[in-house]
Amino acid sequence: MSIKETEELILNMGPQHPSMHGLFRMVVHLEGETITKIEPKLGYLHRGMEKLAESRTYAQFIPYTDRLDYLASPHNNWAYVQTVEKLMGVEIPERAEYLRVIFGELARIASHQVMIASTALDMAGWSAWSYAFRDRERICDMYEMTAGSRLTVNIMRIGGMSAEPPEEFWPALKSFLDDTPEMLEEYYGIFFGNEIALGRLKNVGILSKEMAENLSITGPVLRASGVDYDVRKAEPYSIYDRFDFKVPVRTGCDSYDRTIIRMDEIVESIKIIKQAVRDIPEGPVMAKVPKVIKPPAGEVYHRVENPKGELGFYIVSDGTTKPSRVRIRPATFINLQMLPIVALGWKIQDVVAIFATLDAVLGEVDK
Amino acid sequence: METLNNLFLIIADAIRSLFADPHSVWANLTMDVINFIIVVVIVVLAALILILLERKIAGWTSQRPGPNRLGPRGWFQTIADALKLMGKEDVTPAGADKFIFKIAPMIIFCLPMMTLAVIPYGRKMAPINLDLGIFYFVAISSISTLAFVMAGWGSNNKYSLLGGMRAVAQMVSYEIPLLFSMLGVVMITQSFNLGVIVEAQASVPFIILQPLAFVIFIIAGLAELNRAPFDLVEADQEVVAGPFTEYTGLRWGLFFLGEYGNMTALSALAATVFLGGWQGPAILPGYVWFFMKVGVIIFFMMWVRWTFPRIRIDHLMHLAWKVLLPLSILNILLTGLGIYIYRFVMGG
Amino acid sequence: MENNELLKRQVEELASRVNGEVEESFGVLVLTVKAPYITETLTAAKQFAEVPCDFLHDLCGLDRVEHFEVVYQLSSLRGPQKLRVKALLNRENPVVDSVTRIWQGANYLEREAYDMFGIIFKGHPNLKRIYMWDDFEGYPLRKDYVTEPIEVRNIVRQRIEGE
Repeated sequence: MSIKETEELILNMGPQHPSMHGLFRMVVHLEGETITKIEPKLGYLHRGMEKLAESRTYAQFIPYTDRLDYLASPHNNWAYVQTVEKLMGVEIPERAEYLRVIFGELARIASHQVMIASTALDMAGWSAWSYAFRDRERICDMYEMTAGSRLTVNIMRIGGMSAEPPEEFWPALKSFLDDTPEMLEEYYGIFFGNEIALGRLKNVGILSKEMAENLSITGPVLRASGVDYDVRKAEPYSIYDRFDFKVPVRTGCDSYDRTIIRMDEIVESIKIIKQAVRDIPEGPVMAKVPKVIKPPAGEVYHRVENPKGELGFYIVSDGTTKPSRVRIRPATFINLQMLPIVALGWKIQDVVAIFATLDAVLGEVDK
Repeated sequence: METLNNLFLIIADAIRSLFADPHSVWANLTMDVINFIIVVVIVVLAALILILLERKIAGWTSQRPGPNRLGPRGWFQTIADALKLMGKEDVTPAGADKFIFKIAPMIIFCLPMMTLAVIPYGRKMAPINLDLGIFYFVAISSISTLAFVMAGWGSNNKYSLLGGMRAVAQMVSYEIPLLFSMLGVVMITQSFNLGVIVEAQASVPFIILQPLAFVIFIIAGLAELNRAPFDLVEADQEVVAGPFTEYTGLRWGLFFLGEYGNMTALSALAATVFLGGWQGPAILPGYVWFFMKVGVIIFFMMWVRWTFPRIRIDHLMHLAWKVLLPLSILNILLTGLGIYIYRFVMGG
Repeated sequence: MENNELLKRQVEELASRVNGEVEESFGVLVLTVKAPYITETLTAAKQFAEVPCDFLHDLCGLDRVEHFEVVYQLSSLRGPQKLRVKALLNRENPVVDSVTRIWQGANYLEREAYDMFGIIFKGHPNLKRIYMWDDFEGYPLRKDYVTEPIEVRNIVRQRIEGE
């Protein structure tokens, strides 16, 4: 009797699949339950953001940026308006800078909470999911107080902020900051302390330091592979050089560290917000910018540290009211390249977990 | 109290006394039909209640209200769901093996009725008093593996197939520790008869004498039932819904009923073998004690489901073959040693 | 500042080797070279002494109407040095060497540039469309691309010709 070779099973996961965040599709080649090859297929959410930008004025494009990484929309606004401000040479008021930092860090916390929740959910930790989402609701409430919307907030303008937060914003922010350590305890308790969860995350999906750098990985995924690199420290934009915070770095390179590093980052974000709330000056939140925004001809590349990695905008202006080219450097689009490499040889369940720890948002991947 | 305790026996005797000869073939047949109907009612009722209970517990663990719109505190939700399922179109996918596809949910649904028939619900209240009760129970419940494979293969869907394969690997592996964990009890009572086992627990339930066996039984039982954290067969984050992916309407509903029926059956077995079945202080009738014990085990299973993440398939196999199986064999060894010492002390 | 001087010196030296031009815009050195020199330029930039630009941030296409450009944003994870390299491509025959051998991370970025501008990256392991579907016609981000679907375009054309 001879041993028969079994046939390879090709499984189409997505775009309609319970664990694919958004509209992601990957063709998975399986040998039993083990992965032999993964081909990600993108473009199911492609809206042609870069093309849309070319037929809109500079100010009109701000709401579109919300729809990139829709879990951290203030960050996308921030990256875009700062790029235009850099191009025009606009100085914005101090108070607006502080408010931008506060909203940016709140967005980071919210985004990381969603990441923790969805990682838990992709491993069937149902309760952990609703715990993290419960806490994120409070941040959405704070968005709503200021901007009127909860997800795609469109809160920044070229030259400052769209609005001054109302009176009730500050007590809500304070109570949220005070409750955060307890929340993180809860996430540890309900999910990350669990033996099964540890078994599925630890030493799974190793992304080495060299590989991460070669693949242009940025953000928490890079830092979980032991590279101390954060745009907020490496090239402080806005007023990040005034705050005292650490960049969490972990050297595990595995799914567990990629998840836990977000918890560490939430702690640091809380520190930054507390300092910003302490130091925030009074004053206007909007600089005097011309009604018609017409930057001089030129080109500029500006990047910010989005919760998911480095979000860059490369704007080429030809001196008219509409940009000649707006290039978006999406963080997770580039981070996604690690998936076919890292997931090889792991089980189909691990691929779901590794994909979750990448924290890909398809709005950003597909632009 | 005694009347209440023997209520069902008295009713049974009354029905039998309607016949000229209370033990004629016709009287026995009538009683069997009545018993059968009662078991069917237990399965369907249990499923209806448990589905709602599960959703309530899911809400409770994840800090949300759960179903609360239909009827008082949402108690009619399951009925509405059942009606909705009946109204759905019955889709058979193209390329499916039609016979296998259609028969699989029926098999799943039949199993809990067959297994629940040998459980003693109270004193002398086993619908069928089988001498090989445990043996029969395990043999029948292992047929569900076949039904899962049939559903997985018959659906002509890769996710279903993967789920079916997982079902085989998982259920065949966990049957062994499940059976072995009960052997300790069998060694003590010298009987496979569930009635005898319950009678033997009049003074002390076997969970005290066999704590290790009980833990192994619950873990292996969860895996046998495909309940979280061992719900790899229908893991929706990986294989969408496993063998059930292509099922719609009432056929899917039968799978659902079967799942909760099996859960009731296994909890009933656990309550019978380890928790003393209907034995309990005489303040309540025996069958009430029995259902309370079943309820506690079911609650525990649901609690685990909504708080634990899903285990990985290689860890699953590791747990079965390298942890639970040696432990259950160790338990048999220790039980044998214990019996030997007990006899030596008492006899000596 | 010392770093910048060092970088500037090396970039200028490199520019003279590959017939490139150096300019400065918003504090970033921009090195513009012809497409055939791009592998040599980027390999050299990655290995600059003391100020290596060894991290590829972004790679994108750019339509300058008379020609195409491929823009590489480089920096390092261990220093403040920043460099923007531009490859000038011929519009009729936009071909440039792939940099996937230097940075594996350029894989998707080059596929995207191919998808949107039709720039051919020689030596790319899997040069297929990434966002648009495989039989999509045209390259959306080119300036001469007409956004309307073909039917609408024809109607518009008829109307114009009719008048």
